[in-house]
Amino acid sequence: MILTPWINFRLSLIVLVAVLAQLAFFSYFSIFGTAPDVVPVAIAAIGLLGGAVVGAVVGFGAGLLLDVALLETLGVSSLVLLSVGYLAGRYRESFEIDSAFAPAAVTGALSSLAAAGHTAMQLTLGVEAPVSGAVVADAIVRGFLAFLLAYPVYTLIRRSLRSALVLEEATARRPVFRNRRPVQRRRRRMPGSRVRRAAAGEVR
Amino acid sequence: MYRKQVRRRRAVLVGLIVGSLILLSAHFSEAESGPLHVIQRGTATVLSPLETVANAALKPARDAVDWFDETWEARGENEDLEEELAATREKLAEAEVAHAENDELRGLLGINKDELAGFGYDPVTARVVARTPSLVNATVGVNAGSGDGVEVDDAVIAADGLVGRVSQVTATSSWVQLITDSRNGVSVTVAEPNGPQGIVSATAGEPEELILEFFSNDDEVSEDQFVVTAGWSDPATGLSSAYPRGIAVGAVTETSTGDVDFQQVTVDPFVDFQELTYVQVLTGGPERPGVDEGETAP
Repeated sequence: MILTPWINFRLSLIVLVAVLAQLAFFSYFSIFGTAPDVVPVAIAAIGLLGGAVVGAVVGFGAGLLLDVALLETLGVSSLVLLSVGYLAGRYRESFEIDSAFAPAAVTGALSSLAAAGHTAMQLTLGVEAPVSGAVVADAIVRGFLAFLLAYPVYTLIRRSLRSALVLEEATARRPVFRNRRPVQRRRRRMPGSRVRRAAAGEVR
Repeated sequence: MYRKQVRRRRAVLVGLIVGSLILLSAHFSEAESGPLHVIQRGTATVLSPLETVANAALKPARDAVDWFDETWEARGENEDLEEELAATREKLAEAEVAHAENDELRGLLGINKDELAGFGYDPVTARVVARTPSLVNATVGVNAGSGDGVEVDDAVIAADGLVGRVSQVTATSSWVQLITDSRNGVSVTVAEPNGPQGIVSATAGEPEELILEFFSNDDEVSEDQFVVTAGWSDPATGLSSAYPRGIAVGAVTETSTGDVDFQQVTVDPFVDFQELTYVQVLTGGPERPGVDEGETAP
């Protein structure tokens, strides 16, 4: 990812929108007893598009914003979300993303891990409560919901960061010189090909 | 070149993890008046109007999703409801008798909201503007803060009953720890004269129901009995409950004999926390020994 001030601004805006959407929209719904969590989905998408360093830094910032907005212990969400961003980025750097399924599956798995990690951290920070087995079910359901959310969220974030993505740039734009269409490549005839085609009866 | 990239990547990762851990331990160990808490509350105050605007802007979308959800559920429930209607008619007579008893008990316990004002409470109406996505922390953000007279540990109620208590306050907003938050405990009593007292709390992972503890196996508790806040105060020990007496909490749904001396009672809260839109923060009120000095009790 090519990081310019404009792209950094866009990344910040994506994080802010994701956090506000989570607080004011997604948290209001209960699907299978669990509210969908769009923030790890957005962070995983950024990690998958921008790599490990970008994913980790953006995840850290998003976690900090979330903890500040929720007046929770600072650092908890940062630690969880920077892990999500980093692991998503490492996946992108290690494997080729050649289908729409891969980002969704990675996002789902990482969101499950994030939910479990977040709960575990809160419990270690002195929440003296009996823990139900539903915590595990919650992590799995969150993963599934993240898998579903990943398709639109990944597409939207990829579109908004398109100009910064090196590979997207190469495939998205065809070379155009001075308002002319790119010159069609002339088919070069290999030496001896006419003789071979004549022998095959193609040339009369 | 590649090794340099790997080193840079690892350095960034280690730096961020160390930064998170430092923030975490510093924030966790410092007092509420510490610099990190002050910065956090200041930033939250700045973010609060954004949350309010986002909440208002996204309300039509939420309503649309709710409408689809309710329509879908309504179609499925229609047949069941027709069957239940016949049974409900039979129970109507019993319910009317129970309603009369309920009114009487409410009158005895004085859970009328007007009477709360009589005790010096000044209810501040606030709108729910944000929610936590976390399973363990069940909190909601409301658009009333210290500027409206809200203080930490003020009780919060809705039309149906007890919602929770204020856990964090900024100038323009507050966060309310719901009674379904597994960190929250509420002293309650069964709504009958000299009813047994216990503490109701939620289990992490089961936010839909509350567990009522410390009821002796000898205490007689039956299903559908109302549970209200106990609102105790003990000047001798200098401790008191954060909640006023007599606010409806929920109804008993299940009782079972506990392990040694206590029975386990499950309570279904009256308030539908998923549909919570407006709440009232009970500011002011009589002095609560212990609570007002920062020592919270259930």
